[in-house]
Amino acid sequence: MLTIKNLHASVEGTPILKGINLEIKPGEVHAVMGPNGSGKSTLAQVLVGHEAFEVTEGEILFDGQNLLDLEVEERALAGLFLAFQYPVEIPGVSNLQFLRTAVNTLRKHRGENELDSPSFMKMAKEKAKQVDLGPDFLKRGVNEGFSGGEKKRNEIMQMLMMEPRLGILDETDSGLDIDALKTIANGVNTLRAENRSFLVVTHYQRLLNHIVPDVVHVLAGGQIIKSGDKQLAMELEEHGYGWLGINEAEAAG
Amino acid sequence: MTLAHKTPITPLDNAFTPEGGKQLPAPLKSLRDIRSKAITGMALPNRRTENWKYSSRYLKLDPELAPLTQATGNADYRSVEGTYRLVIRNGVVDLESSSLPTGDGIDIRRFADLDDVTAQGVAKKLDTTLDHGTTQMAALNTARLEDGILIRLSADTSVDKPVYIQYVTDAGTSGSNYPRLMIEAGQGSKMTLVEEFISNGDQPVLVDSVSELLLDDSANITYIRLCMDPVNVRHIGATGVRIGANAKLDSHCIGFGGDLRRHDLQVRLEGQGGYTRLNGIALTQDRQHYDNHTAIDHVVPNCDSDENYRCLAADRSHAIFNGRIHIHPDAQQSHADMNNKNLLLSTNAEIDTKPELEIYADDVTCAHGATVGQLDEESLFYLTSRGIDRDTAATMLSMAFVHELVGQVPLEDIREAVNTRLTDFIEASFRRASE
Ligand SMILES: Nc1ncnc2c1ncn2[C@@H]1O[C@H](COP(=O)(O)OP(=O)(O)O)[C@@H](O)[C@H]1O
Ligand SMILES: [Mg+2]
Repeated sequence: MLTIKNLHASVEGTPILKGINLEIKPGEVHAVMGPNGSGKSTLAQVLVGHEAFEVTEGEILFDGQNLLDLEVEERALAGLFLAFQYPVEIPGVSNLQFLRTAVNTLRKHRGENELDSPSFMKMAKEKAKQVDLGPDFLKRGVNEGFSGGEKKRNEIMQMLMMEPRLGILDETDSGLDIDALKTIANGVNTLRAENRSFLVVTHYQRLLNHIVPDVVHVLAGGQIIKSGDKQLAMELEEHGYGWLGINEAEAAG
Repeated sequence: MTLAHKTPITPLDNAFTPEGGKQLPAPLKSLRDIRSKAITGMALPNRRTENWKYSSRYLKLDPELAPLTQATGNADYRSVEGTYRLVIRNGVVDLESSSLPTGDGIDIRRFADLDDVTAQGVAKKLDTTLDHGTTQMAALNTARLEDGILIRLSADTSVDKPVYIQYVTDAGTSGSNYPRLMIEAGQGSKMTLVEEFISNGDQPVLVDSVSELLLDDSANITYIRLCMDPVNVRHIGATGVRIGANAKLDSHCIGFGGDLRRHDLQVRLEGQGGYTRLNGIALTQDRQHYDNHTAIDHVVPNCDSDENYRCLAADRSHAIFNGRIHIHPDAQQSHADMNNKNLLLSTNAEIDTKPELEIYADDVTCAHGATVGQLDEESLFYLTSRGIDRDTAATMLSMAFVHELVGQVPLEDIREAVNTRLTDFIEASFRRASE
């Protein structure tokens, strides 16, 4: 589904990703772990097309298409979804209006009927409930005044609405208590399907107890230095990143 | 009046002949004649005229703009549900197309239909709400007066539905018109007034409109002004308001740009406990222009004013905001809050914003702020990352910028209509720009 070959990317001229290779097959869940500053968010943002990150080398194939040729919105329509580490607040655009526009754009693209107001509301309320967000959240501005945890739930709620082919989660677990973590993991798990894959970016192993990965990669200094099964995450948890010879303070270099 | 002696003066009266006003009752005809004489030789505002500094370049009074009062096309008398309707076409009141409130305490008449005594009273009050030093073009309105409408509410009268005034300009041929409105709201009276300016036809037309609102003590007026003329209409409008003790004006001025758009809103708080809220939205695109000049005079103590104007300028357009707050020496305990936020939707657009504070009392609070910004790239990215195309995302963010102000428009039907029209306007601009 997703093939990343020798991906190099820089921000403001500074190389961050230095030759990433990754292959995600349909139905698989891959975890990317790594210390702060190792380039996890950069990888996620490059995939969805943030223009601050310049791809200097390599290629990304998504369902056979060259992802780097696609605009941000085209990538979303192709089935890519990123649950952001730091979702922006957009006062004045209601969650409802935003979601409805997004969902209907997507449906139109897939050749499905656009949802009318009542059926959209029904669906939105259901999905909100699934991540423990009350219906009043739908009326508020996008992420406006949401707590950190509410923002993360809102990201997952959007993912539930949009049913992407590849869901990318960027530290969705950070700052969440164990109940919230479970809620979010449940949300993700209901989406797991033969045809849908996930890339779960996280600093800690604990999320991976709930969203069980098929493959775990360790990212350090802009490269994947080790890959393994879920056991790798446990070992990292036990021994820390130092175990792999990673100096956390220098990881960004 | 600023006269710029070194630049060639185009006199105001020179543009076209001042014939007319024959239907007016004698006192009003005589006021018209006085104004006609007064503006003879008076200079058309030019770039040295301080309050026309950014706009005089859009002001052209060609001979083809001679007054036009005859209807030339089919006007669009869209009736708005749940409102009374008053149609003023090319400056002339069209009672047949109107459906007006009746009943005790409500007096609505054309100037032409006024008896001499009432006309005398109106003539005394006309032009008393505006500062003539800054509203030269309002003087031209009086000098070209053809007709006008008087709405008088006696004490404690409430009008049960909004009065929706449609000013229709037939722009099938070029010309100009001079609509005039006078509202006298008696003590404790209450009404909602909507002024909508529309036009059909594509010839260059000048509309020079003046509306004056006199609020007696404890009167309460909600004022919604929708400047929706197409681009070919050059619209110069003035709204003058005098607010008595404990009276309140809630104003919402919303407009689209054009070849020339100027609105002077002047509000005088003349009785203690008076309050005004002035909200405004101006949108410009292409090569359009919009110039909002507001002035709030705190004349007496204990009055509050809240002002919030927002402009969005796209393409090569030009938006101007000038907000003056004048706190007179006696006006202790005044609270004035003025805010002007602007959004540049293109690097080729221009926005000029200028707060002018004149504070002569010491025990007052007066806050003001003005900003010019651009659409937030991270927000755009967030929306597009959900599959929303960039033009739609930019439209959503632009509408978010005025969301709060649109939300404060008091009538739901009008609020929704405004919302739709603003959205369409902005979206069209983004789509055109990205083609
Ligand atoms: N927008 C940006 N501008 C400048 N530097 C950035 C930007 N985003 C990330 N970086 C830098 O890139 C490196 C990797 O960051 P990031 O991908 O956020 O790491 P992680 O998500 O693994 O913590 C860090 O050194 C960070 O400072
Ligand atoms: Mg990160």
